[in-house]
Amino acid sequence: MPGVDHCLQEAMAIPGAVGASIVDYTTGFPVATTGAAPNSDHEAAAAGTADVVQAATSRSLFVSAVPHDMLEDLIITTAGGYHLLRVVQTDFDSRLVLYVWLDRVQGNLAVARRRMQKLADDLVVA
Amino acid sequence: MTPAKTASPAALLAQVADERGTGALIVGGQPGGAVFVVDGRIIYAESPAAPGVGELLTSSGRLAGRTWQNALDLGTSTARVGKLLVEQGHLTQGELELCVLGAIYDAAYFVLAPASAPVEFLAGATHWLGAVVQIDPAAVTKEVGRRVRLLAEIFPDARVDTMAVTVMPRPPREVVTVNAFQWELLINADGQRTPADLALLLGRAGYATIQELRRMAATGLLELPDVRPDGPEFVRLPRARGTSVDATRPALVNGAPVAGGRAVVPGAVAAPGLAAPGLPTPGLVPAPDPPPSGSPNGGTVYRPPRLARRKPGAKLPKEIAADTTQIHQGTDEVLLTRIRTALRALR
Repeated sequence: MPGVDHCLQEAMAIPGAVGASIVDYTTGFPVATTGAAPNSDHEAAAAGTADVVQAATSRSLFVSAVPHDMLEDLIITTAGGYHLLRVVQTDFDSRLVLYVWLDRVQGNLAVARRRMQKLADDLVVA
Repeated sequence: MTPAKTASPAALLAQVADERGTGALIVGGQPGGAVFVVDGRIIYAESPAAPGVGELLTSSGRLAGRTWQNALDLGTSTARVGKLLVEQGHLTQGELELCVLGAIYDAAYFVLAPASAPVEFLAGATHWLGAVVQIDPAAVTKEVGRRVRLLAEIFPDARVDTMAVTVMPRPPREVVTVNAFQWELLINADGQRTPADLALLLGRAGYATIQELRRMAATGLLELPDVRPDGPEFVRLPRARGTSVDATRPALVNGAPVAGGRAVVPGAVAAPGLAAPGLPTPGLVPAPDPPPSGSPNGGTVYRPPRLARRKPGAKLPKEIAADTTQIHQGTDEVLLTRIRTALRALR
C-alpha cells in the first residue's frame, strides 16, 4: 500500500535525491518530509515552494494559456542542484506538490521527472 | 474527565500531550470543535467550520455518498472507517492519508486558534475514523500560529472569517483578476452564506476558503459593514399627537405644582388649531419637543403626552382608533392552520 511515507522513500530512491517533501501550497506547510532540505529547514523550503507555485498559478498566465491546461511540474535548476515540484492531483480539495531536491552531479533531470510523475500518480490512483 | 472550563485550547492540548493522554479535547465557542488524541498524538480533528474527511471525499465526487455511508455503518463501532475504505479498494492509502492530514490541520486552525474558550478533555474517547495518521501536537500548534499570522498579513480583519459573505455590487477597479476558487466563492456568495457554509458547499478546506476571502476583502471585492460604536441603541419613538397632550395638567417642579396653575407645553397647544395633526407645517414645531434644559421661566417642564381618560367600553377617539383597524384578518387563521397541521404531523 503506497502511503505518504512510502512515496517519500521512493522519492529518495531517485538517483541523486537529497531530500523530499509533500507541501501544501496554499499555506506553505510541509505535510511530510524526509532527508535534507535547503538550509536544513524544511518549513522555510515549503514556504518558498508555496511562493513559487502561487506565482506560477495565480500571478502568471503560463498555466492558463490554453483552455483546460494545468500545471504539472516546476523545475528550478541551480549550479549545485535541481529542485523539482510536481503537482499531486487529488480528486478532493488538497492543493499539494511533491518536492524533490536533487544533487546536480548525480541527478538526472529527465529520469527524476518521469519517476516523480509516476510517484505522484501512484499516490492517489489505485 | 476534566470539567469544562475556560482556558487556552492549545495549552490544554500540550498538557494532554505531555501526559500521553488518550481521548478527545472538546472546545466550545464559535466555531469550536474537537481534537482526538491517542497516546499524546493527534489522530483527528474536526470543526463545524472545516469540512471533514467525509464531506471532502463525497462533495468532490471522489466517493459516492452510498460508499461513504456504508463504510460508516460498518466501521463506526470499531473505529476503523478509514481502514475499511482502503481495504475495500475505494481509496488508496496515500489519498486517505493526504485527505486526513489536510482535514486535521484545517480543523485544528479553528479549534486551537482561539486564545481562550470553554474546553474539556474526555479521556478515553476515540474517533470512528481510526488512527490513519499520528501527528505531534506541538507541530500542529506551531502551524496554527503560523496560519493565524498568514491571515493577518493578507488582511487584518477577522470579521471576514465568520460574517455572511456579501460581494460588492460594483468592483472597486476597472480590471479585477480572480482565480478559479475565488470565482466559485463569488458565484456562491449570496449574502446569507458564511465562509463555513461556502467551504462545506464547495468541499473546500475551511482555512483555504477564509484565506481567499481575506484576499478578496483586501482587493475590495467584499462588503464589510462599518463597525458600530459601543453605545446605547437609540430608538425612534412615535411622534406624539397634538390633540392627546394633556396641557391642563400642572407641571411639576421639584415635586410641587407650579404656582400660577397652567403650565404650557410649547408647540403642542398651538399645533391643533393651526395645522392638521400629523401634518407638519413649515415654521411650526410639529411635536412637543423637549425644551432646552435652561428653560427661561423655569416653570415649563416637559412631560410625555397622555391620553385622555376614557370610561370602560368607551370608543377610542376616531383619530387613534383608525390606526388599529388595519388588522389582517387572514393572517391568524393561516398561521393557526399551519400549526395544527404541524402538530398533527408530529402524532
